[in-house]
Amino acid sequence: MKTLKEMLAEARQVIPEEGPAQVQQRMKSGEPVVVIDVRDPDEYRDGHIEEAPNISRGFLEFRVASAVSDPSTPVVLYCQTGLRSMLAAKALHDLGYKHVINLQGGYQKWVQSGLPVVRDLPLSVDQIQRYSRHFLLNQIGEKGQRKLLRSKVLLIGAGGLGSPTALYLGAAGVGTIGLMDGDVVDITNLQRQVLHTTADIGKPKVESGTRTIKALNPDVNVIPLPTRITVDNVMDVIKDYDLVVDGSDNFETRYLVNDACYLAGKTNVHGSIFQFEGMATVFAPNEGPCYRCLYPTPPPPGLVPS
Amino acid sequence: MLPGVIGLVQATETVKLLLGIGEPLIGRLLTYDAFGMRFREVKLRRDPNCPLCGQAPSITDLSIHMDGSAAACEITPNGGRAREGALA
Repeated sequence: MKTLKEMLAEARQVIPEEGPAQVQQRMKSGEPVVVIDVRDPDEYRDGHIEEAPNISRGFLEFRVASAVSDPSTPVVLYCQTGLRSMLAAKALHDLGYKHVINLQGGYQKWVQSGLPVVRDLPLSVDQIQRYSRHFLLNQIGEKGQRKLLRSKVLLIGAGGLGSPTALYLGAAGVGTIGLMDGDVVDITNLQRQVLHTTADIGKPKVESGTRTIKALNPDVNVIPLPTRITVDNVMDVIKDYDLVVDGSDNFETRYLVNDACYLAGKTNVHGSIFQFEGMATVFAPNEGPCYRCLYPTPPPPGLVPS
Repeated sequence: MLPGVIGLVQATETVKLLLGIGEPLIGRLLTYDAFGMRFREVKLRRDPNCPLCGQAPSITDLSIHMDGSAAACEITPNGGRAREGALA
């Protein structure tokens, strides 16, 4: 019979260890790697590496194929301190996984190194029901929903484009929505700006917009910003958000939002309409073109959406 | 109704980007013609002469927006290329 010490020593013979910084480097490099948290679900809920799914040690051999389809893919396992995951790694190695790595020092060392973690707040019964259709979609699931609930999106404009965007992002459970618009509701808006109602005429759009989103989904923290976006406020406003949606209706604002987002490294989801035509694209800093690549100068009136 | 279609394209892209799933509309311009009920896609590429994101940018802060007028829109790209240059 082997002692625990002997078992660990035996595992260390075949399982390489990497420290938190090395593992993070691996995850950032874009090379295929799967990181698995082998702790118990209650430990996982208290905090884990964002990308890592939770497959408890006891279920690992049975469920690993759901996370790792190709046994030659590098797999990093971690537990709290690196011991359980060492034994787990040995088990995967024996199962034929060629490239299993143990996170040295485990989750504890990861946290001590100051690397990012996420904590899953328990979903309420209402939330589990509300988002149940998202849970059914493999690409979203409970993990994706938690990510949406943690996300912060700034909507510039609560008009024709911002209305449907706000309604659907709110319904989908995007946790924080900044709603920025300096206008009040006018009767001529109501034929298309579905965030506002007849009773809202004369009120600030962010006020009626906030009420509508909250009524649809009380989970959403709506931040009303009842002002136009200007050169003086743009940097300060966008810094708090993961992503910006430009639903503005004029070129000055579009250039301003474009420039600010590029300089701040924020992705800008752009849309514009004109009469019976519309267009949409995504400006992701240094991943693709920006608005100025597309329109170095404003096109003549009537030629493109404005 | 038209803004509903475009706004929901934006909402869909937003969720995809937040979750890191699917193929985002980066480097692609989706156009929608409601009259003809046609979607089209135009490939976009980065302009190496872009005054903001090009190789030798002239816009490195927001000072050109300071006067609040359309001046900020009228920055000529380095080399003064035509507008349709970005449409690959």
